[in-house]
Amino acid sequence: MSHQPANRRSRSAIRPAATPPLNFNRRQFLTRALQAGAALACPLIVPGAVLGKDGGVPPSERIILGAIGIGGRGNYVLGCFLEEPDVQFVAVCDVKAERREAVRARANARYGNQDCATYRDLRELLARDDLDAVLIATGPNWHALASILAANAGKDVYCEKPCTKNIAQSLALAETFRRTGRVFQAGTQRRSLPNFAFAVDLARRGRLGRLQTLHAHPGGLGTATSGWLEPQPEPPRDQVDWDLYLGPAAWRPFNKKFLDGFNFEKGGGLVGGGCLEWGSHCVDLCQWANDADHTAPVEYEPVGKELHARYANGVRLVVRNDGWMGLGSCPVRFEGDQGWVETGDDGEIASSSPDLLLGRGAKVSGYPANFHVRDFLDCVKSRGRTRADADAACYAHIACHAANIALFLGRKVLYDPVKHEFPGDEPANRLRSEALREPWRI
Amino acid sequence: MIQLMTFPLPRRCWLPLLAASLLTALASPARAQTPATKNEPDLIRLVQSDAPAGDRAVACKLLAIYGSEQAVPALAALLPDEQLASWARIALEAIPGPAADRALREALDKLQGRLQVGVINSLGIRRDPQAVPALIQRLNDPDPDVASAAAVALGRIGGSSASGALVKALARVPDSVRPAVAEGCIRCAEDLRLAGKSSAAAKIYETVRKGPAPKQKMLEATRGLILARGDKGVPLLVEQLTSTDKGRFAIGLRTARELPGKKATEAVITQLRQAPAERQPMLLLALADRNDRAAMPAILDAARTGSPRLRLTAVGVIEKSGDRSTVPVLLETAAAGDAQLEPAAVAALVRLPGEDVDRDLLARLPQSAGKQREILIRVTAQRRTPGAFPLILASADNPDAGVRSAAVQALGAIAGADQIPRLIELRQQRQQPREQAEVDTALLAICGRAGAAAVPPLEALIRSRDSSTRGLGLRALAAAGGPDALKAVTAAVKDADPEIQDEAVRTLATWPNTWPEDAAVAEPLLQVARAGARKSHQVLALRGYLQYVQGDRKLDPARKVAKLREVVPLIERPEEKRLAISVADEISDPGALELLLTFAQDEAVSREAYSSVVKLAGKPSSGLNKAQRAAALQTVVDKCQQAPIRERAEERLKALE
Repeated sequence: MSHQPANRRSRSAIRPAATPPLNFNRRQFLTRALQAGAALACPLIVPGAVLGKDGGVPPSERIILGAIGIGGRGNYVLGCFLEEPDVQFVAVCDVKAERREAVRARANARYGNQDCATYRDLRELLARDDLDAVLIATGPNWHALASILAANAGKDVYCEKPCTKNIAQSLALAETFRRTGRVFQAGTQRRSLPNFAFAVDLARRGRLGRLQTLHAHPGGLGTATSGWLEPQPEPPRDQVDWDLYLGPAAWRPFNKKFLDGFNFEKGGGLVGGGCLEWGSHCVDLCQWANDADHTAPVEYEPVGKELHARYANGVRLVVRNDGWMGLGSCPVRFEGDQGWVETGDDGEIASSSPDLLLGRGAKVSGYPANFHVRDFLDCVKSRGRTRADADAACYAHIACHAANIALFLGRKVLYDPVKHEFPGDEPANRLRSEALREPWRI
Repeated sequence: MIQLMTFPLPRRCWLPLLAASLLTALASPARAQTPATKNEPDLIRLVQSDAPAGDRAVACKLLAIYGSEQAVPALAALLPDEQLASWARIALEAIPGPAADRALREALDKLQGRLQVGVINSLGIRRDPQAVPALIQRLNDPDPDVASAAAVALGRIGGSSASGALVKALARVPDSVRPAVAEGCIRCAEDLRLAGKSSAAAKIYETVRKGPAPKQKMLEATRGLILARGDKGVPLLVEQLTSTDKGRFAIGLRTARELPGKKATEAVITQLRQAPAERQPMLLLALADRNDRAAMPAILDAARTGSPRLRLTAVGVIEKSGDRSTVPVLLETAAAGDAQLEPAAVAALVRLPGEDVDRDLLARLPQSAGKQREILIRVTAQRRTPGAFPLILASADNPDAGVRSAAVQALGAIAGADQIPRLIELRQQRQQPREQAEVDTALLAICGRAGAAAVPPLEALIRSRDSSTRGLGLRALAAAGGPDALKAVTAAVKDADPEIQDEAVRTLATWPNTWPEDAAVAEPLLQVARAGARKSHQVLALRGYLQYVQGDRKLDPARKVAKLREVVPLIERPEEKRLAISVADEISDPGALELLLTFAQDEAVSREAYSSVVKLAGKPSSGLNKAQRAAALQTVVDKCQQAPIRERAEERLKALE
C-alpha cells in the first residue's frame, strides 16, 4: 500500500465533513468543526459524572496526590492534575531544592494555604500514609524504580514515559502492579486523545480490513551507551542530592551535563535511546491497534533507516522517520487490506476513504495530558484498568527495547514474548537487563 | 573522562580502547558511543589496570555484553570498590554460568553495608539457589537494609527453604525489615500460585494476612489468598467488597476483576444490587471487566433502573461489550431525552458490533416514530447500515420536524453528489429559515466530500433567479473545489447582480483552505485585486491573495517574495500592509527583509515591520547569511523609534557577533 496519499481523494479525506461557508475565518471554522465533531463523537472517556467528578467534591472523596521529580514536563502534567476538582496535591519530592520549592509555591498558591510538604528523598514521601497516588516525572532513569517503590508503598502511580530502561524492568513493572493491585498509568497520553483513539478503533474494529502493516515515527533510531564525564565539584546535598539523582544508575562523579542533560540514562546504560523516546508513544499506539497489549513482536530487523518488526499474527510493524503525510509530530499509520488511516499530533486524521472518518469526534491538536490524567483519576476510584496500564506499558516498552537491541547489534533478533527471551541469542539476552546500583532493587 | 590512559598495555590494545575512552569523553549523555573493542582479554586487562575509573567502568559495561567467565575474577575484584562496584555488577549479573554466582556469594562475607546490599540484590536477580542459606542468615543481620535485601532476594529465588525462612521471620524481624520480609513471602506465594501449587501459596498468604505486616502487604496477601482459593475465595472477596475500609474495598474491586468463575460473577452481581448507591458504579465496572456474558442481564438492568450515575456507567459498559440483545435498552435510553444518557446511548448503538445489529436497527426504522425514529436515523447513518439510506431519504419529508431534521443531518453526513438535486428540492420546500439552514449545511457537507463530482448538479443553484440560492451555489462550489468550480465562481464576479458579485469575490477571497492544491485561485484573485469593480472587491481579493502567498507550501522563498512584490503597489491601507508584513516575516529571503524595511518607512506600520525584521534577521536560517542579517538588524538599531524593538535588535546583533 502506498505511503503517498497526495491525491484529490485523500485530501478530501482529511478535510472536515463540511467545508466552511465563505465568511468563516480559520478560527471560526475550527471552532465550528469542533462543535460539529463533538456532536458525532463517541465518548472515549468515562464521563466524570459517573465517578462523581461533577460539582463540589467533599474532602473525603478527594484523591490525595504527591509528586516526585517535577521539572518542565512534570510541571505541565501536575498542572493537569491541579485542574481536577477531586485532587488535593499535598507533597513534592525532588533532589533539586530549587525545583521542589517552586512546586511547593505553586501548590500553595493554588490552594491558598501553606500545606505542601517538600522532600528530597522519595522514600520519605512514599512513607506518608495519607497519599493515594503519586505523579512520577523524574528522568527515565528513575521511572520504573520509583513506580515500583510507590506501588509497594500502597500508592497508585501516574508515571511519565519512557517508563522502563530495559525488558527486565518492563516485566518487573507489570508484575509489581499486578501483585500489589495498584493502579498505574503510563504517561502515554496519546492513548486518551480522540484522533489517536479513533484511528486505533478503526484498526481494532476491522474497519481497515485485515491489518497488514503498522507504522510508527519514533523521532530517532540511534542507540546510545551512557558514560562518564569529567568530575566537577559536587553541590551541597540540600541543594542537589547527586547520589539520589544517580539513583539506580551506575556511579559516576558529579557533572552538570548529566544533571541538566535531557533524559539522563534514558533507556538504560547499555542500549539507551533508540526508538524509545517517542516509540513509547507511537509503538505503543501500534501495539494498541494490533490488540497487542499483552504481547510484542516476535522478530525485529534493522532495514536501511528503518526497523522492521513482525508480530506472531503476521502484522508488520515499521518504525521509520521518513515519508509521512505531515500530520504533526509522533504520527502513526495503520494499513489493512481494505484501507488505511494516518494521524499525528496536529489532530487531523487522513484515511483511504472519507467514510472511515464518520463520527471521528472533536479535533484536539497537540498532545494535552488532561484526558489521560482524568482517566487515571477515574481508575484510582474504580480500580479499573487505565488506558495505558502497566501491562500495556510493559509490552509496548518491550517492543521498543527489543527493537533497540536489534539496532544496537545491527542484525535481526527473534523474541519470545511468552518466555521473554531471545531464543538461543546470548548477546541479545544479555541486553535484557542491567544491574541497579546499590542499594536499589526492583 | 578526559584523562588519557597510562596503563601498561601493548599499543595495539590500548589504541582502540583509547578511542572508546575519547568517545566516552566527548559524548553527551544522549550521544551514541560505539564500542571500539569487543575483545574480552583487552577489556579484562583494562578493568585490572590502573586506568582512570571512567575507562574501567565502561570496560565493565562492555564485559556485560562481550565477557565470559574469564572476566569474572577481574570484575569480582571491583565489588569492594565504592565507585566501580555497581559497574562490575552490571557485568556480573549478565555473564551466564556458575562462576559469577560463586563470585557474588564469596563477596557476601567480605562486604558490608550498601556494597553487601548490592551483591545480595544481584544474587536475587540471578536467582541463585546456592545463595539461599547465606541469605537466610542475613535475615538476622543487624543492618536493616541488608536484612531487607536478603528477604526480597529470597522471595525472588523462592523454594521451600526460602519461603519457610521468610514465613518464620515475619513475626520476629524488626518493623523496619518487615515490609521486605512480607514482600519476600508474597513473592514466594505468587510463584507457587502461578505454578498451580495453590494450597502451599494460600498458607503463605494467610500468614501474611494474619500479620504483623504493613497494610499494603496485607492487601496483597488478601488478593493472593482469594485467587489461590478459587471459588472458595468468594466469601473473602465479598468480605472485601462489603468492607467499609477504603483499602479493602479497593483490593476487592481489583480482585473481583481477576477471580475467574461463575460463582464470583454471581457474588459481584449480588453486591452490585445490595451496595450503597455510591459504590454501585464501581461494582458495575468491576463486573463488566470480568467479561462474563452471564453479567449482561444485571448490566442491562442497571441501565434501565439504576440511579442516573449507574445508568450512565451501564451504558458505557454496554458500548464496550454489548450485542444485538442490548439494542432495545439502548434505544429506550437514548429516546428518553436525558441530556447525558442520550449521547452515551447513541454512541453505544453506533459502536455495537455485528451485522445482526444492523438488521435489527433497519427493521425498526420504518416502524418507529418521533424521538426513536430520530435516534434510529442518526445511528443507522453513522453505522452506514446497509439498506437504511432510502428510509433516511424518505424521512426528510416526515411530518415530524425532529425526524426531518435528523434525516437532513444524516444526509449531510452520508449522501453523495447524486443526492444534490434532492437536497436542492428540499431547500425549496422548507419554509422555516432554521430548516433551510440545516439543508444548506448538509449540502455544503456533501459538496465537501464529493469534490468535482458535485459541480454539475450545482448548476441548478447557480442559474436560480433567487440571489440567496445563487449565493448558496457559490458557497457550495467553494466547498467542492477544483477547476470547474473555480471557473464558475470566477465568472460570477462579473454577474449582473451586485449581490452575487459580492458573494463571488468573498468566495474567491476565502477559497483556499487547502494550499497548495487550490493555487489556481491566485490568478483570479490578482485580477480582481488589480481591477475589481469596486474598491471593497479589490481589498478582499488582495487579502485573499496575501493569504494564498502565505499558505502555499510549494512556493519557495524567492517566488513568495516575487509574488509579494507584485501586489505591493496595490497595498494602500495599513490593514493590508500589516497582513503583508505578517506574510513577509515568515520568508527566509533577503528580499523579504527588503520589503519589510520598505514597509517600515510608513509610520502607521513601522513598529510591526521593524519587529518582523528583528524576528526574521534575529534567528539563523538557511535563506539569510550573517551579513544580510547583521545589516538588517543594524538598520533597525539605527532607525527604529521604538526602544524595546531597538534593544531586541541590539541583543540579536550582539549574539550574531
